[in-house]
Amino acid sequence: MTPNPTALRAEILRIAHDSGHGHVPTCFSIVEMLCAVYGVMRHDPARPEWDGRDLFVLSKGHASLAHYVVLGALGYYDPGPVARFGNRGTMFGCHADRLKVPGVEVSTGSLGHGIGLATGMALAEKILGTDRRVYTLVGDGESNEGTVWEAVMVAVDRGLDNLTLLYDDNRSQGRALQIPNPAERLAAFGCDTVGVDGHDVAALTQALTRPARGVRAVVARTVKGKGCRTLEDNMYEWHRKSPDAETLAKLLEELHAPAV
Amino acid sequence: MRRQFRDTVGALAAEDERVVVILGDVSVYQFFAFKQAHPTRFHNMGICEPTLISVTAGMSARGLHPFVHTIAPFLTERCFEQIKLDMGYNRFGGNIVTCGASFDYAWDGATHHAYYDLPLLRLIPGMEVIQPGSEHEVDVLMRSQYANGRPTYFRLSDHPHDLDLGPVRFGEALVLRDEGAPVTVMTAGPLVATVLEGCRDLSVNLVTHHTLKPIDRATVARFRDTAILVVHDGHGLREAINEVGGLRTAYHGLEDDFVGGYGTVHDVRAALGLDPAGIRAAVTRFAEEMS
Repeated sequence: MTPNPTALRAEILRIAHDSGHGHVPTCFSIVEMLCAVYGVMRHDPARPEWDGRDLFVLSKGHASLAHYVVLGALGYYDPGPVARFGNRGTMFGCHADRLKVPGVEVSTGSLGHGIGLATGMALAEKILGTDRRVYTLVGDGESNEGTVWEAVMVAVDRGLDNLTLLYDDNRSQGRALQIPNPAERLAAFGCDTVGVDGHDVAALTQALTRPARGVRAVVARTVKGKGCRTLEDNMYEWHRKSPDAETLAKLLEELHAPAV
Repeated sequence: MRRQFRDTVGALAAEDERVVVILGDVSVYQFFAFKQAHPTRFHNMGICEPTLISVTAGMSARGLHPFVHTIAPFLTERCFEQIKLDMGYNRFGGNIVTCGASFDYAWDGATHHAYYDLPLLRLIPGMEVIQPGSEHEVDVLMRSQYANGRPTYFRLSDHPHDLDLGPVRFGEALVLRDEGAPVTVMTAGPLVATVLEGCRDLSVNLVTHHTLKPIDRATVARFRDTAILVVHDGHGLREAINEVGGLRTAYHGLEDDFVGGYGTVHDVRAALGLDPAGIRAAVTRFAEEMS
């Protein structure tokens, strides 16, 4: 079952309101990517530790709320308690703890770490001789970190054709250190790179399943705050912000408005 | 010690298919035979220490027993956050094995010296911190700790001692002299040979630690009623010893400054008063102050 992206976004908004926390625009840019990845991965929500599973690492840990909502929709756990996101007593921190949340393979938060861990996991699977696949999702802002590029170099050098890098090109760094041509850069680093509309699940699925030589990179062109005009137009104001009740109603209305 | 590391890891790899070696383009010549014997489990991954640690953690997550190795300051200080989060917070184990500390690269100056590695890594929950003094200690402690699922730091030196100081067991200090003296000297790592020489004709108790985390609190506490002088060519040991409350301790070693001299490890130690004469003078002075 593939979750409905609009319903997931509405859930993210409601939780951001209820909990008082959330990086909503960065969550909105990866909703379709998460749907596509979990659509192609071998995994079993009833058995998060199933030995036959593929692995997903959310390197841009700030988007944990989107990941929680998707895992909940897929049936990893009862999604209700995610509403306590970031509050006392919850297992759902604003950055995920793998020891607390079923389906989370790696605790991330500080940027530029998850991709290196995913590289180590993919190399381990090569050594162990399995056909397991490893997926990691990095942000463009995260890619200001040099360790992202270190890991890409190592992954390419080791020939990790079981590793897929999803790059969220939501241009979050428009006001700071921009990476205007990520597909060219990843290709120059040796990845088998394809660019795709990051809000098109079918296109993403195709990009994730087409044959690739070596490390597969999928550069997903996305919109920070995708689906809500207010968030799209004010992504810096909304980088880390919880909507009040009135704003929540307005954002839900924008979300459900027919596309123009 | 690097040769011993090579031999011990080679022996472990022959028995345990989960042993993997990751190098940061250092000590490569030592591992030609390992590479021949286990080509898929040898990875000279380049000069990218933070990623070496992240990859180590990722391998550990998948059930392997990686040994990651390069020069101490780069693999510990530069990578502190990777060790803290990818290994420590994530509870992914692995073996970090360094060379160069404290002053094996004396001639290179402060960029290549390492005296903050031990206290930094001691801060990380679940971390094991080992400073072997001899090749025998490297062998015993590596074999006993490498596959226990915890992040473990082995700080190797190119200047080991070759003394037989008694049975080597993880987490247990070695009491070399217990004379009932009012002063106890505590040290760690290869420096113990120099400390023994400096204290040869002094009436002091003498303890050395190869395991800095967990520190052997019981043995430290046994000398609680003496005045303890910590003699060490790094930071970290005095903090570990003072986990035991109510001690009277002082420290002889580094100042709050970078070590600026060049030369050999012996030259740098002598400049710091960590040669036999300097240690003897420091212990004598301390004993007088405490009497």
